[in-house]
Amino acid sequence: MLLRKLLINYPYFAAVILFAVGAVIVLTRSNLIKKLIGINIIESAVFLMFVAAGNIRSGVPPILDQTRPEAVYVNPLPSALMLTGIVVSVSVSALALALVYRLYKAYGTLDARRIAEMRSEVRNR
Amino acid sequence: MMTAIRNNLPVLVVVAPLCIGFVLPTLVRRVRLVETLVIAITVIGLVGAGYLASLVFSGGGTTIVYSMGGWPAPWGIELVAGSAAVLILLMIAIVVMPIALFSANNLSHEVGASNRTVWFYTLYLLLTGALAGMAVTNDLFNVFVLVEVATLSCCGMVAARNHSRAAEAALTYLILMSLGSALLLGGIGLVYIITGHLNMGYASQELSRIWQDYPRVIWLAASFLLVGLGVKSALFPLHVWLPDAHSYAPSPASAVLSGLAVKGYLLCLMKILYNVFGGSLIQQLAVDKIITVLGMLGIIVGSVFALAQDELKRRLAFSTVAQLGYAFMGMGLVNTRALTGSLFYVLGHAVSKAVLFLAAGAIITASGKERISELAGIGRKMPVTMAVFTIASLSLVGIPLFAGFVGKWNLLLGSLDAGNWLAAAVVIAGSVLCGAYLFPIIRIAYFEPAPSRDLQDPGMPQKVGMLLLAAAVIILGVVPGPFLELARRAAVDFLAIR
Repeated sequence: MLLRKLLINYPYFAAVILFAVGAVIVLTRSNLIKKLIGINIIESAVFLMFVAAGNIRSGVPPILDQTRPEAVYVNPLPSALMLTGIVVSVSVSALALALVYRLYKAYGTLDARRIAEMRSEVRNR
Repeated sequence: MMTAIRNNLPVLVVVAPLCIGFVLPTLVRRVRLVETLVIAITVIGLVGAGYLASLVFSGGGTTIVYSMGGWPAPWGIELVAGSAAVLILLMIAIVVMPIALFSANNLSHEVGASNRTVWFYTLYLLLTGALAGMAVTNDLFNVFVLVEVATLSCCGMVAARNHSRAAEAALTYLILMSLGSALLLGGIGLVYIITGHLNMGYASQELSRIWQDYPRVIWLAASFLLVGLGVKSALFPLHVWLPDAHSYAPSPASAVLSGLAVKGYLLCLMKILYNVFGGSLIQQLAVDKIITVLGMLGIIVGSVFALAQDELKRRLAFSTVAQLGYAFMGMGLVNTRALTGSLFYVLGHAVSKAVLFLAAGAIITASGKERISELAGIGRKMPVTMAVFTIASLSLVGIPLFAGFVGKWNLLLGSLDAGNWLAAAVVIAGSVLCGAYLFPIIRIAYFEPAPSRDLQDPGMPQKVGMLLLAAAVIILGVVPGPFLELARRAAVDFLAIR
């Protein structure tokens, strides 16, 4: 029964798995670029959930068709919202990469742990 | 012309700073002009926000509803200027103008080159517009977009300081903020999936009808929204980014981040919890208890950490964690007086903490000393700076006749109304701890022998900016009437939705 539910709602199940994968990467990896990739995976999970919510199986694209009055249209709103979401996500990634580049120039490494060590060495001196 | 401006005021307060912000980079070689322009637009913003507030206030509880692009509510985006919205708009306008004045001709030593100050001002106006938008919007997805605009501009302002620690603080901030955004978007998505509405009013009606059918989804949505906005507004265990980000930012940025930015997210959380979920539903989900307990922990732990800091701006940053605890605690106590206190405290803390960070910035710029133990005798060398610092400290501690007292008093009465004696005790203990970490700074500055080096107050615009904010602290404390009434009406409106 539970398995059947999962199979029917597989896009949501995939979103949960993607979210978990992204969260693990962000929390366990110390490489800053990998952390950013993890964040992008988490965001994709949320986008997937939204877009899946707008979809209706055997629905048609939401363009009014006089010849088929019985047609069921898919909900276009979540997809339109996710376009905005993707734009936001791209700009966040761009800013984050710029900051990572600045840190790389200052410390010569991409490892968050190494950067923290180098900083505490400077402070103790 | 005037009626056109008047009818479109709720959208103009949001759009005008955004538009001007994007024009500024074209004037990158003319820094003086940009500074004048920013001060002018913030003064106009203050007039606009004041006028909007007077319309709502004299209307006696009426709210101004504005449909974007003329599309009515369930389809179009709706802006609502109610009591809470205009109170927060006024707060933004009151704090933004003096900080712009303080920044005039005072930024380049902190951000590096003079053309970078222009970009800083762009971010400053973007943040202002986004915060104003958060105050008036009544649409869940719009909340997300504005939260992102605010987050990116905050992050840029932290990174604007030419210091590698600032870049690191900004990156930590950005990583945690994007986790928060993903959770916020997920929460909004879940609410949309079960209600089919993004408008807060319609979503709330639908939710009160169907929530029993989706108990787990409601839980998930509430926890996503609480953690997502909690990270952004520094709810206690999620505050880890705040001390670094707020203390390594340039001083005007610290003032606006600590004073305003976190409050915008806090208001969004309040709007979503009360206007979408409604008071009775959040009590059934026990979200109110979680927020109260985390708020109380924030007050105590934030204050204790603040006591342990020797760097001036870091102590003030931890103090922000503690003071935000009060706002959260009031939010969780779900009664009129506690919510009134919470909203008024947000306002009082915004002006007081802005003064403290500006004064700290002036002291650090003049003396080059960042540690509290090195500030001996600075009160006699920089009388104006230390005087406003003292006024703001008295306000945060909660001495009568200053802004912080009115908020804390209402929070105290509110926690007694809720029958929560522990909360009342924490309000008082928090005040004592606040005195314990702020008064030693004043003692060292005034009563220890002065250094031989020659220091002086910052220039005229800086002094005027700080004095204006200090005047606001005193005005809010001596004649809180209209502001308190707005906060009370806002609290009644929040609790009216079941």
